[in-house]
Amino acid sequence: MIIISPYSKALRNGKPNAKNYPYWKELIELIDEPIVQIGIAGEEQLVPDFRKNLSLSELRELVNQCKTWISCDSFFQHFAWDKKKYGIVLWSVSDPLIFGHPENINLLKDRNNLVENQFLWWEDTEHDANKFVRPEAVIESLNANFP
Amino acid sequence: MNSVLCSVATRGRYHTTLPLTLNAIINQTKKVDKLIIFDDNDEPQDMRKELVYSYFFQMLDIKGIKWEWLFANKKGQHHIHQIANTMGFDWVWRVDDDAIPEPNVLQNLFNYTHKNVGAIGGAILTPPFQFESFKPTGKIENINTEPNIQWSFIDKVKEVEHLHCSFLYRAGGHDYNLGLSRVAHREETLFTYGLFKKGYKILVVPNANTWHFKNPNGGIRSETNQALYEQDENLFNNLINYSDKKIVILNCGMGDHVVFTHVLPKIKNAEVFTCYPDIVPGRSIAEARQLFGNIDQWSIYIKMHQWKWKGSLEDAYRKMYL
Repeated sequence: MIIISPYSKALRNGKPNAKNYPYWKELIELIDEPIVQIGIAGEEQLVPDFRKNLSLSELRELVNQCKTWISCDSFFQHFAWDKKKYGIVLWSVSDPLIFGHPENINLLKDRNNLVENQFLWWEDTEHDANKFVRPEAVIESLNANFP
Repeated sequence: MNSVLCSVATRGRYHTTLPLTLNAIINQTKKVDKLIIFDDNDEPQDMRKELVYSYFFQMLDIKGIKWEWLFANKKGQHHIHQIANTMGFDWVWRVDDDAIPEPNVLQNLFNYTHKNVGAIGGAILTPPFQFESFKPTGKIENINTEPNIQWSFIDKVKEVEHLHCSFLYRAGGHDYNLGLSRVAHREETLFTYGLFKKGYKILVVPNANTWHFKNPNGGIRSETNQALYEQDENLFNNLINYSDKKIVILNCGMGDHVVFTHVLPKIKNAEVFTCYPDIVPGRSIAEARQLFGNIDQWSIYIKMHQWKWKGSLEDAYRKMYL
């Protein structure tokens, strides 16, 4: 089973978070494993098994059961890393050297896409699908690192 | 690593002590790299039209001292000092607008700059002298029971825990407490004591005499609201009461809390305030604000921005708390 954590925290101005991976539907089509989506109520459901608003202990239990996970830059990548269960993080504008963990697989398309100031609110950063790796690259990494 | 910014915050003293202060700064035996006058007057004026000031500006240009006259935002001089503190200079010499340093003050303060030193002050003298018979310790625990050690001539170098009025300090080593009200009561005490608590030496040194022409008008004495002084005194006492603790305030995201758990075990005597007590146990952020006022100085994101941080979040926490 693979966990997906598709969404970063919702922005206060209602705009799409620039850290949210735009190709989840295509990526899910390519994954040949049971998938559990985690998140909070109100987020778009991408797979039949969507577990919302899990407690930390429920989340820990689920992480223990999974083969690996795929996430955008969000709380979950830190949480799973803390539990020593490593996975794939899909980056775009935030810097994996600052906010990532080397034990995870950090897929960043191009460091030139990183926003200059990493420490301001994300409300001012526009979402740009072109700044993410394509699903094929994610699958390639998944198969290579978590066969 | 030795650039010096001279910062003067002024209010209500255009035509009294400020010209004396500026003249004294311009005529120091050691030149500052830049002088910034932060104008916090209620009704700011264009002083380029004033004869004496126009000569000051020309003297600065002739001596090759960069200068700027900035109009401040009337939030109190601690906000001004914090701006100066983060402008990228190595040292800041803060001079009150009613303080007149003798010509050798900056040089003699600067002689003691060292990697372990956080701030250096000289004597701050107001005639007539009243405190010659005292032997102050300069320790924070005695602040309410002894005169400030700087109020008399200083005959030898001494390590203290806090400074007063005007002094030279290491820039970026500690933040001014922006939780204080606009009267900024105790602002320099909290600031220098904060440097001391971070392990820097705070020194008073001889032959660095500044004459303090205490002016009943202008500056902090423009503020007469007693409630604001009491509010600042309360905040000061809260911070001093926690001085044996490492105050940790996690006003940040869940993931940041998770990363912080890898640093927390190495922090000695931590008093933690947290947004997510199920991840990092502690007291509430509301309580932190009530105790310490503005808590921006504990914001890891503001710190990383100030540090132009390129390392990991975990290492940023280490830099902040270890």
